[in-house]
Amino acid sequence: MKNLKEDYFSPFFSHIYVEKAVLEHARTRRILAEFPSATVIEIDHYKDVFCRSRQSIRFQRRAQNLILAAKQGTLLYEGAPVCQSFGNRYFYYVSCAMNCIYDCAYCYLKGMYPSANIVVFVNLEDIFAQVRQVLEQHPLYLCVSYDTDLPALERIIGYVREWCDFAANHENLKIEIRTKCASKTFVRNTRPVSAVIYAFTLSPQAVIDAFEHHTPSLTQRLSCAAELIRAGCPVRLCFDPMIYVPDWQQHYEAMLEEVFRAIPMEKIVDVSVGTFRISQDYLKNMRRQEPESLVIWFPYQKEGGYCHYPDALMEEMECFLSGRLEEKISREKIFRWNV
Amino acid sequence: MIYIFTALYCEAHIFIRHFNLIKNQQGTWYQQFYNETTGILLTVTGVGEIAAAAVVGSVCSIYKPTQNDFLLNIGICAHSAQNDGIFLCNKLVEQATGRTFYPDMLYCHEFAEGTIVTGMRPYHTSHDDVRMTAGAPVGTLYDMEAAAVYQTGSHFFGPHQMIFLKIVSDRGIIEDVSKERTMLLMEKYKDSIFDFLRQTSTIMKNTGCHNISPKQEEGTLIETFCADLHCSKAMYDSMKQHIRYLALAKVDYVSQIRELYEKKLLPCMDKREGKRRFEEFKRRLF
Repeated sequence: MKNLKEDYFSPFFSHIYVEKAVLEHARTRRILAEFPSATVIEIDHYKDVFCRSRQSIRFQRRAQNLILAAKQGTLLYEGAPVCQSFGNRYFYYVSCAMNCIYDCAYCYLKGMYPSANIVVFVNLEDIFAQVRQVLEQHPLYLCVSYDTDLPALERIIGYVREWCDFAANHENLKIEIRTKCASKTFVRNTRPVSAVIYAFTLSPQAVIDAFEHHTPSLTQRLSCAAELIRAGCPVRLCFDPMIYVPDWQQHYEAMLEEVFRAIPMEKIVDVSVGTFRISQDYLKNMRRQEPESLVIWFPYQKEGGYCHYPDALMEEMECFLSGRLEEKISREKIFRWNV
Repeated sequence: MIYIFTALYCEAHIFIRHFNLIKNQQGTWYQQFYNETTGILLTVTGVGEIAAAAVVGSVCSIYKPTQNDFLLNIGICAHSAQNDGIFLCNKLVEQATGRTFYPDMLYCHEFAEGTIVTGMRPYHTSHDDVRMTAGAPVGTLYDMEAAAVYQTGSHFFGPHQMIFLKIVSDRGIIEDVSKERTMLLMEKYKDSIFDFLRQTSTIMKNTGCHNISPKQEEGTLIETFCADLHCSKAMYDSMKQHIRYLALAKVDYVSQIRELYEKKLLPCMDKREGKRRFEEFKRRLF
């Protein structure tokens, strides 16, 4: 029996579900070529697999599979109120992939999606077409790595490069690529495009160890961010979500010291600061899936359909971090989600 | 518990013998065997989709599977291209409706994988049953229960808890299938089946949910604490949430509550004082 002693779970992407309609799509063929030993299962629609009832995210996380599909219907969404717009009026996001290879205990994707499998929409050209249409009407600030971590998937799908090429050829378009990735190959292969902002989510190492499973360390993320800055890429630092842990102040202080050592703060585009908050419905789903998760079972305060830390704690955490950041960066460059 | 469903007794025989299963004599209308020590409940459903669906529904309604249980549907099937082999099904097609079902493929195994079509009648090439084979790729499996077991099972189990193992008995010539041949085929693959069963059982135990309810003594203390705070329903729910978090965070909340009693801060006089005390208790935590 394969790996009987080491691990009873199959390797990641051991099975790839492919919609019949995209079997011959060039991106499908390219992605499948990366996994020559995977079992390919033909499906009619990605929801036949992704939206089955009673799926266990906990189990699927141990052996994530991949679904290749075509995105239909709405391809561009308006930014949610809990997301930071960074002062941009036309704030939209796209979902060219769903779910992430990282396993952050607090991630809203676990409450938003019924499955932990990763869906990649291979018809990126349709998303580009819709973005072009919107750009004819007004400028666009577009987040392309919200429901996934595109740089972490770059080796497999190459979408960051495609978005960079697209952004380089379209005025009035600004793109944010949110990530926790610290791949050296990714940095090496990234060409600077002024309209593409790389936004690194940073957390103290204690939070990474406790809640951000399989993600690069703080040091690795900072090294990757610094490298991109050196290469001339716009970089944003996201201290968002801030996660409560006992002695949080010490941990965040230590993190900032490391950040200030590694990053030339005068060169970053801006920073965002925000404590953890989540839709009440997502939290309910996550609590059903993860009855033993500390971060999910925090007694959050409910307000207007969202859950967040108690007001006093939220204010204390955000003020602390903003205050320390103001010593190194002008106030206009610090964005707090609830101000 | 492991819920095993076979259509025929001759498919169940290896499990009955290997796990020393005892016949359930409680007058069920289907044959059922169990072993409480090994946590196996085996039921013989009878042949066909309706029989399988009815029995799976009945058994699961009585025993109420939990998140740590799993279902195994095992038995013989036909194959469109070969006479032999054991397959783990990654796609189930209900022939009558064309609906497809996908059990999760998460666990390591040594079997071949395949698509199975479940029909109302046995797959019989001499009948030239074009309806059954239409659109199916070469190398498809055929049986009469799998899709029905999945559909009924999905009301009780998640897709990660359902496993469909099928052993090829013929290539659509039902005259080749007999009770004796079925028993021989099951016997042939029994070691790999038992290995997989053991492995899956371990996964369920290790990865499934664990009981995190407070111990009885702690539970009583929490109830008394809430009563002495004169908690409203909303306060009580909020307190339960705090206690759950503290338990997960391994904070010694019991000592903190006891300290309040020792300092004579509890029981409270009325709801107003209780509310104040509750707020103080929460503030001490963060």
